[in-house]
Amino acid sequence: MIAQLKAELLKVRSTRTTVGLFAGMIGLTLLIVLLTGLLTHPDSLASKHDQRGLFAPGAVALIFSGIAGVLLITSEYRYGTIRPTFLFTPRRAKVLSAKLTAGLLTGLVFGAVSLGVAIGIGSLILSARGIPSTLSGHDFAVLVFGGLAGTALRGAFGVGLGAILRNQVGAVIALLAWDFVVNSLLFGLAPSVGRFMPTAAADALMGLKTAHLLSPATGGAVLLAWTAALALIGLMLTLRRDVT
Amino acid sequence: MTAVVAESLTKRFGDVLAVDNLSFTLEAGTITGFLGPNGAGKTTTLRMLLGLSAPTSGRSLVLGKPYAALNRPALSVGAVLEATDFHPGRSGRDHLRMLCRAVDLPDSRADEVLQTVELHTAGRRRVKGYSLGMRQRLGLAGALLGDPELLILDEPANGLDPEGVRWLRDFLRAFASTGRTVLVSSHALAEVAQTVDQVLIITHGSLVVESSLQELTSRVGGTVRIRTSKPDELKEALNRAHLDATSDQQTLLVHGANTDRVGEVAFAAGVPVLELVAEGSSLEEIFLELTSEPSS
Repeated sequence: MIAQLKAELLKVRSTRTTVGLFAGMIGLTLLIVLLTGLLTHPDSLASKHDQRGLFAPGAVALIFSGIAGVLLITSEYRYGTIRPTFLFTPRRAKVLSAKLTAGLLTGLVFGAVSLGVAIGIGSLILSARGIPSTLSGHDFAVLVFGGLAGTALRGAFGVGLGAILRNQVGAVIALLAWDFVVNSLLFGLAPSVGRFMPTAAADALMGLKTAHLLSPATGGAVLLAWTAALALIGLMLTLRRDVT
Repeated sequence: MTAVVAESLTKRFGDVLAVDNLSFTLEAGTITGFLGPNGAGKTTTLRMLLGLSAPTSGRSLVLGKPYAALNRPALSVGAVLEATDFHPGRSGRDHLRMLCRAVDLPDSRADEVLQTVELHTAGRRRVKGYSLGMRQRLGLAGALLGDPELLILDEPANGLDPEGVRWLRDFLRAFASTGRTVLVSSHALAEVAQTVDQVLIITHGSLVVESSLQELTSRVGGTVRIRTSKPDELKEALNRAHLDATSDQQTLLVHGANTDRVGEVAFAAGVPVLELVAEGSSLEEIFLELTSEPSS
């Protein structure tokens, strides 16, 4: 599978799509941190909860790594490169495992950069405005490692979703609708159910303390379960379906 | 040695029988034209040979094994199914490099095959700027990466200009001259007539002809065009001689005969012959004749 993983990582790097997504994510992260950090009243940036929110514009990295994962597989169906891919590696489970791993790694990079930008710029703003940092080392550890695990899983989650739907536009829309509509509505209307949705689970994993969120460990387990379920269904369908 | 074996390959899509109990064998070292009109089931058959699609029943072997059971099949089988299977934003060279990675070939191999298909100057450009002919050649380059002994190409001449068609023909000839095997599909016999040794012709998913090109040409009688000032009399005479003719004003088309025979009949009937031409010896007509018959 190492050979296939190398091929997947080259695919990710050799088009401008991922680079564009990456740049978009950094830009959006910066925008949110700057707006929140500079425009919010100092009193509303003082608590642990406020500062976690500032350092974890989580949704941005989670959305972008999810989309990157979706594109990793749907672009192959869209442009037909899935044919040479499967001709070179007819054991499709190998291809999909390589893609899931590439999704994890892409998500990890996205998460690392997004968190780096948010924590770096956010801390600068706080110190410039004379607002003392209230997060402990442990809080930061949960934020960083939870955030990285969350975006990595979301990359693989996107691959699984893409493997099931195959249609690129359809899969991206499904992902966004799931995050912004289903997740938000359920979490707002029935938080006891909504907190088990993937994005809410990823927020919990980063140690965010919004009301009704699960604990970081449970959130991580729930996100892992979602990702594994999508990957498994995607794998079964990929093995069974004809490539036309 | 046999390069490809199809055993009762059948593919059904709902009510449609796309490939119907298709069996054939390709010997190593041959160039075979896989012919049939669009929609005859050629691509579906190739997909099954290459493990992209599962047959409803039957099986196929490529170099002695089902394709998916070959160890790193790209090193023994090169295949191109669509001329356009590239990400438009990726360079041709990167497309080949990513395929190299999947089978542990060095990047230098990508540059070598780019040279082979004469795309080395365009290799670093993104595929969206390639002409259809360049894309066809890039696809071929991908198939050649593993230095295969068997090439399977689906409609490789589609969209090529006459120069490109000749380039492809020369390339396939040179490839096969080293004892390697080619299976090339086409909907137009003329495209491959000068390239292939033998033909498989399918219509409606069934094999109608499996023969050498020579046999095919000699087996099917030609059509003779004859123009006369007395078409009705000539037609009667031909019918008496058990020759089937269709007439259009002064011109008659006689099927399944040669010019000698038709000339003799006309002389015996005493009708003036204004023009006598052998027409149906063209392979294209044989092909049309065979493939336009309704499936039985």
